[in-house]
Order: sequence, then C-alpha cells, then structure tokens
Amino acid sequence: MVTATDTNATRQAALDHLWMHNADWTTMAEEGGPPIMVSGDGVRVRDAEGNVWIDAHGGYASVNAGYGHTAIADAMRDQMQKLTYFPQGTTTVPLIRLVEKLGELAPDNLERVWPVSGGSEANETAVKIARAYHKRRGDSGRYKVISRRGSYHGATGGVMWMGASSGLSDFEPAMPGMLYAPQPNFYRCEFNSSSPAECAERSARAVEDMILLHSPDTVAAFIGEPIASGLAPPSEEYWQMVRETCDRYGVLLIADEVVTGFGRTGKMFAMEHFGVIPDIMTVAKGITSSYLPLAATIAGTHIADAFAGEDNIFRQALTFGGHPVTAAVALKNIEIIEQNNLVENSECMGAYFIEQLRDLMEKHPSVGDVRGIGLLLGMELVSDRESKTPFDEGLQVGKRLTEKMGNRGIIMRFNGGKVTLGPPLCITADDIDEIVSALDGAISELESELSVG
Amino acid sequence: MTTALSDSEALRRASLRYLWMHNRDWTQMAEEGEPQIIETGQGVRVTDSEGRSWIDVNGGYNSVNVGYGRTEIGDAAYEQMANLHYFPQGTTTAPMAKLAAKLAEITPGSLSRVFPVSGGSEANETALKIARAYHKRTGEPGRYKVISRIGSYHGMTAGVLWLGGSPYQPRHDYEPIYPGMVHAPQPNPYRAISGGETPAESAVRSAEAVEQLIEFHGPQTVAAVIAEPVAIPQGAVVPGDEYWPMLREICDRYGVLLIADEVICGFGRTGKMFALEHWGVVPDIMTVAKGIVSSYLPMAATVVKQEVADVFAGERNILRHVFTAAGHPVAAAASLKNIEIIESENLVENSAQVGGYFKEQLEGLAIDHPLVGDVRGIGLLLAVELVSDRNTKAGFPAESQVPERLNEKFKRHGLIFRINSNILNIGPPLCITSEEVDEIVHAIDLSLWELEGEMGISRMT
Repeated sequence: MVTATDTNATRQAALDHLWMHNADWTTMAEEGGPPIMVSGDGVRVRDAEGNVWIDAHGGYASVNAGYGHTAIADAMRDQMQKLTYFPQGTTTVPLIRLVEKLGELAPDNLERVWPVSGGSEANETAVKIARAYHKRRGDSGRYKVISRRGSYHGATGGVMWMGASSGLSDFEPAMPGMLYAPQPNFYRCEFNSSSPAECAERSARAVEDMILLHSPDTVAAFIGEPIASGLAPPSEEYWQMVRETCDRYGVLLIADEVVTGFGRTGKMFAMEHFGVIPDIMTVAKGITSSYLPLAATIAGTHIADAFAGEDNIFRQALTFGGHPVTAAVALKNIEIIEQNNLVENSECMGAYFIEQLRDLMEKHPSVGDVRGIGLLLGMELVSDRESKTPFDEGLQVGKRLTEKMGNRGIIMRFNGGKVTLGPPLCITADDIDEIVSALDGAISELESELSVG
Repeated sequence: MTTALSDSEALRRASLRYLWMHNRDWTQMAEEGEPQIIETGQGVRVTDSEGRSWIDVNGGYNSVNVGYGRTEIGDAAYEQMANLHYFPQGTTTAPMAKLAAKLAEITPGSLSRVFPVSGGSEANETALKIARAYHKRTGEPGRYKVISRIGSYHGMTAGVLWLGGSPYQPRHDYEPIYPGMVHAPQPNPYRAISGGETPAESAVRSAEAVEQLIEFHGPQTVAAVIAEPVAIPQGAVVPGDEYWPMLREICDRYGVLLIADEVICGFGRTGKMFALEHWGVVPDIMTVAKGIVSSYLPMAATVVKQEVADVFAGERNILRHVFTAAGHPVAAAASLKNIEIIESENLVENSAQVGGYFKEQLEGLAIDHPLVGDVRGIGLLLAVELVSDRNTKAGFPAESQVPERLNEKFKRHGLIFRINSNILNIGPPLCITSEEVDEIVHAIDLSLWELEGEMGISRMT
C-alpha cells in the first residue's frame, strides 16, 4: 500500500534526481508533478493517489498486449530462476525459441535475427548491416541513407538524423550521408496532389529522382515506417514503387516496424497491407508490449548470407543483446497476442474507433483530418479546415487538450498538431466510447475557448 | 534438469538458422558443433545444456557483478511487474525515482541528475547529446568535437562507434566516420605511444597530448573529452596517478566537459564503487551500465552534475531526447535490489581484496612463463598480455593461432575466458573467492605450460 508520505518522497526524489522525457523539472514541481504510476490492468493504469486512467496511447504505442499480464511476470521469474543472463556467442534456450518464432512470423525470407534492447539500436544495426553488406559485395561507395521528412527512427547518433524533424539542432553536426525524401502524407502532400494515389506516386518517384541525382552507387538504403505514426497509410502504389525502385538501383529497403509491428495496424506486420517484403525489418515495442526492453533487426537470408564465412562476419556486440530474460518475456507476450486474437481485435476495434472519430469530425470544425488504420490513429486539429491552417503555437492547443483529457481520465498524446492514439490492442468498444466521448467534450470546451465554429 | 539431447540438437539447429550472434560466423559454428547453450548459473559458474559446469572468468561481459543465480533480484523484478510493468518517463514510477535518488547518493560530488536508458551505448550517446546541447545553452554553439582515446571503447551506435578504436574492432564497414571525432593517445604504460619510461611519464605525456589537441583544434570547437577510468580493449590499462587529475584540470581550463565512461568500471569492478574514486576526480557526466544491474535486465544511466543539468531547467531549455524503454520500472526494481546486494555483501571490498590476491597470483605466473609480458589491472578488472619476446614486446603472428589454441586449452579446464588477440581479459563476478581464483590461475598455469611446450619455448631459468 502506497502512503501519501511515500508518494511525496518518491515525487521529490524524481524532481531532484530524475531526468524525465521532454519535461522540465522546475515546471513539474510548480504543477505538483510528476504523476507516479503504481499499477495497471488492460487499457487502464492507476496512479499513487488512486486515480484510474485510460491510457489511450498505450505507453508509447507500445503496450500491445495491455497492462497487468501476470503470466508474463511468471515467464520472467521462471527464466530468472534458471539463468539471468549470458552473452551472445554462446546462447540460451529462450532466445533460440524467440528467434525461431520471429523467423516464422516475419514474411518470406526475413529470418536472420540480431537481437538488441530498443528501437534505436535495432535501426542503428539495420543501417550498419546495410552499409557493411554493400562492402561485402564490392560496392563500397554506397553509404547514403534515404529517409522521409516527418518520420522518426530513434534517438542515437546515426538514426536520430533519419526522418527529419525540428529540434535536432542541439545535437549538430549531423551524420554524413543523410538524404530526405517527401512523406507520402496526402493531407499535406508536398506535391499538392489531387488524390492519395497521385501523392503516393509522386512521393515514390521523388525517391527515384533522389537516387539518380546522388548516383545509385552512393546510396546504401532507404528506411521508412510502413505507416508513419499519426498519418494515413499511403496508397498501395507507394510501397510497391519504392520496392521496385530499390531493386532497380541496388538499394536496400529497411522497414521500420518498431511502432507498426505485432498487430498495431491490424496485421502482424504493417508491410502486409501492401504485399511488400523489405530486405531488413526492425521491430521493438510490441515485441514485448514494453514488459521489458527488447528489439530486433531481422534480415532476409539474401542479406545475412553475405556475412557467412569467417572473414565476412558482422562486427558488433551489445552487452544486453539477446538477453534471455527479455526473450522469455517476448515469447509469452507473442503467445498472448496470438491466443487472444489481438491482431484481429486491432483491426475490428480500429475500424470502429476511426468511425467514431469521423463522427466527431462532423461535429467539430477544428478537426481537420482523421486517419490511420488498426489501432494506430491520428486526428489533426486546424484553425481553418479549408486552408488546413494549424493553430497558432502560442495558443498551446496540445497542452490544453491533453489537460482537458486528463480531467476526463484519459492519458493522451498530442504531437505535431495532432492527437495520436495507440491504445493496447485488447481495447473494447466500451473503452473506445469512453475515449471518444471525452474527446467530444474536451474539443467542445477547447473550441468554445478559442471561439471556433 | 538439463535439456534432452534431441532437444538440444533441435535448439542448436534453430539458432544456427535464425540467430545472428555476436562476432560469430554461423557456418563455422555449425561445423564445430556450436553454439554452446547455457542453461543455468550460480555464483561464478554457469552450466550448459550438456550438463557441464564452467567458471565464467569474464562474468558475462565484465557485467555480472553480483554473480549468477540471485533469485531475490528475480523476486524484486517480479513484484514490480505484477504491479505495473511499464509506463513511459514524463510521469514516473516509484522504483525509477528511488533508483535515481540512489545513484545520486552513491556517485561522487554533485553528480545528481539521472537520465535512465537501456544500455551503455545509449548512455554514452545521451552523454554526448547533453554535452553538445549544453554548450548551445551556454552560448558556445561552436563546440561539437569530442576527444576520445585510441584503444578505448564506448559503444556500437553511430554516435559513439567512432570514439576510441582499436585494430581488434575494425570499423571500416560502417564508414563514413561521424564528424568531429578527435583521437588522443591511451595512457598505457606498457605500450606508451606518447613515450615515457614510467607510468607517471606516460600519464603526463598522454594528458598533455589532450591539451595539445584542444589547442590545435581550438577550444571553442571542443565539446567534451570522454574516457574510461581504466580502459579495457588493450587489457585493463590503469593510467599513472597523474593522468586523471591533469585531465580534469585541462578540461576545466578550456571549458570542455569531462565524461567518465564507468560502464565497465562502475559498481565495484575496480575495488571502488566508481573507478574515478581512485584518483579523487569528479567528472561532469558519468555513464553507467552493466554492473548497475549485474546484467539481470537491460539498464544503464547517464548521471549528470547539477551545474550541467541546471542549464536544461525551464520549459524552453529542455533536452529533447526519448527512448521508449528508458526508465523501465522493472529494470529499475532489479537494479535497486542488485545495488543493495553489492552494498550489504561488501562486494566492493571483496573486489579490492580478492582482486589484489588474483593479481599477485598472476604476477607469480610471470616468473615462470616467458610468454607473460605484462600483468595489470585493479580490483577485479585484470589483464595478462602475452608476448613472443619480452624485450621487444612483440605479439604473435596470426598463423600461430595463439588465442585459438589457448581458448581450447582453457575450455578443457572448464573456463569460459575471452581472449582479445594476445590479451587475456579477466572480469569475474565480484563474489569470487580466493579458492576460485586459485582454480583459474592453476588452469592458466597449465595451459601456458602446454602452449610453451608446443611452441618450443623453454621455461624461465
């Protein structure tokens, strides 16, 4: 039982000593924060004061199986009683079972698994494999990596420069060889396209133009999320054209399924929506539903084979890579996703959720766009629907809406002018109704404060 | 219970098909009946799927500080997972807040603000990002270069991959190099590239070389110096006592941040809780991993001086940097229990004492074996450097396969023992006893005799 004094001491310790994500400890102290979370069940978490919240963002769109699965804790303890750790090179039983499972789940010949501890490490590993692969094949001038503006691939030195966003100037200089292609985002298409298909085609064509401009023999890889968080899935032409372009110019295609994998979009992996097989796929988050840190880089056999033979090995080691306890947890988590049909539930509940959000759009002029697929949804707010003008930053729309949702018991994230939703995949229609009704109330309040509509 | 033989064959086949292991080639492993599958562990020993017991001389990757098989860490992790398995940082959880406070308490000086992450690479990446952003916040945006030392190692992700470097870990596969990497000499008294007859001379010259690099590049372009208190790739290189105080003073004089990478050295490995305590130096940023949780779960942290962290206070100054798994409450609960064991069982003192005994025994081997060129290290971070000629300090040609042959011999004696080129690296769990040390040293002794016999090298007379 947590007492008030305990909580205050914990809160003070956090304010004094913890560097939290994108938060300022002085403001937090003034506002009585940070909230201390103590337990969770399904889509709900409870804080130290006993308030219960629906986590509409599922951690970082990462708690796919939902909170409170003691079966996963049991699997962890069982493994910890046998063997808590051993480095890769030798190996352990749960890790072998996990990589076999991933090899089976991942499409086509994606079956050689490099286990790591997080999405950043997984994408760093993918890029290193891509650059080394070309060297093994005597094509050593290929080092550039194409990513898309508005994408996100991680926070470490290489991948933080992939998928350009603002706020990186603190960390200059950038990694060499970064190229940025357009995002196939029809709502704000860089080509002012008149249809999603046109936007997809032009965005894909831009990748080819970029490869030709830089010369194919300098380009190592293209990296992209099948569906970028908070955006609509691109028209299916997009990924097929990007795949063909990569094949034509010998560029490796890396699919970042860190967010989209393990049922998030209503398929086990989101590339299945487009029938496209990447050369390398990265996974994290949903692989353990954040029960423990684990991620993986999964390479096609045609890529991995270039590293077979003693003189060709891929030189990389990470202390925690392939950790047996995290592997045991991932296996149990995947079993829960499969046995409870959470991929199907993501598809069904996602369809229901987006329908409800579209109804909100009818009522609220500030909702400019509703989009997404499965349980990876986004709702963009605008001050004017026709011109798609975003709200002035000074109005702090995101902060105000997040607060209003908090008052209604919903934890929600607002990012780049849009509400992003990525709840646990075990969510029910009733939970969705609760979130949508809270959004309805919160947006009404916001609109009346801003005199919109 | 060990795995049935048929099971273990099926597992081995699956791992050869699906698993990409560290620095190994799966075709060769298949030929040699590998990989070995480890199933259980207790203290300094692990047992494989054939039921054979091994002493883990490397303690994982110098990382299993409390030893294997501490079920109370599993219990602590279980209890937290049964309550709340995860919530992102921004809000927080009790074990993470307690761990941050604990780290602030045990790290020296004003080191007191903790950015939790999931591994040493992420911790060092975070340190560099903080250093570069710090100079921007304080009106010196031109400072971006980072000075590291040749023969050091700081991680595998792209920002830290190019720090340090050694021929054993070639990086040309991953070119182009990250901008702003500047490399200083390693204060390795046995192989002093900046010259110097004594450890003190080597230390002074190596520190002066850092100052010269800062001057050469212009202090207004240099963000940070990063270094391990005791560097590992060249085998537990303990610098002369002059080195760290000089480095601290040089960094202060030029406004350069000093980052101590205690990923391996921290949590008792060198016989102090943190290795810079040997020299009474407080860095601006300290990174920790491995021993913080004895590898029971992935956890690491970047610990920052209050004066540095303070420039990121205030809503417009925040550091924009997020990892999904950062500050994981289950890994934090395991870390807290791990640190409690290190403290309550006096494992730091044991590391100093048994490490001292271990080093003495290894120095004894140097009397008998001409192959032993140098014995060095501190606490339970030790190394033996083998040479073909003590006077020239020459190593061995690759075709003589010295590391491969020694590894085979160590295996026959039941030791898991990593050898980097001609260097035997030693970093066992800190709970090791002097009897276990005797067992290891005896096995090294016998193995060296055999090897010297095969090579036609006569014993010292």
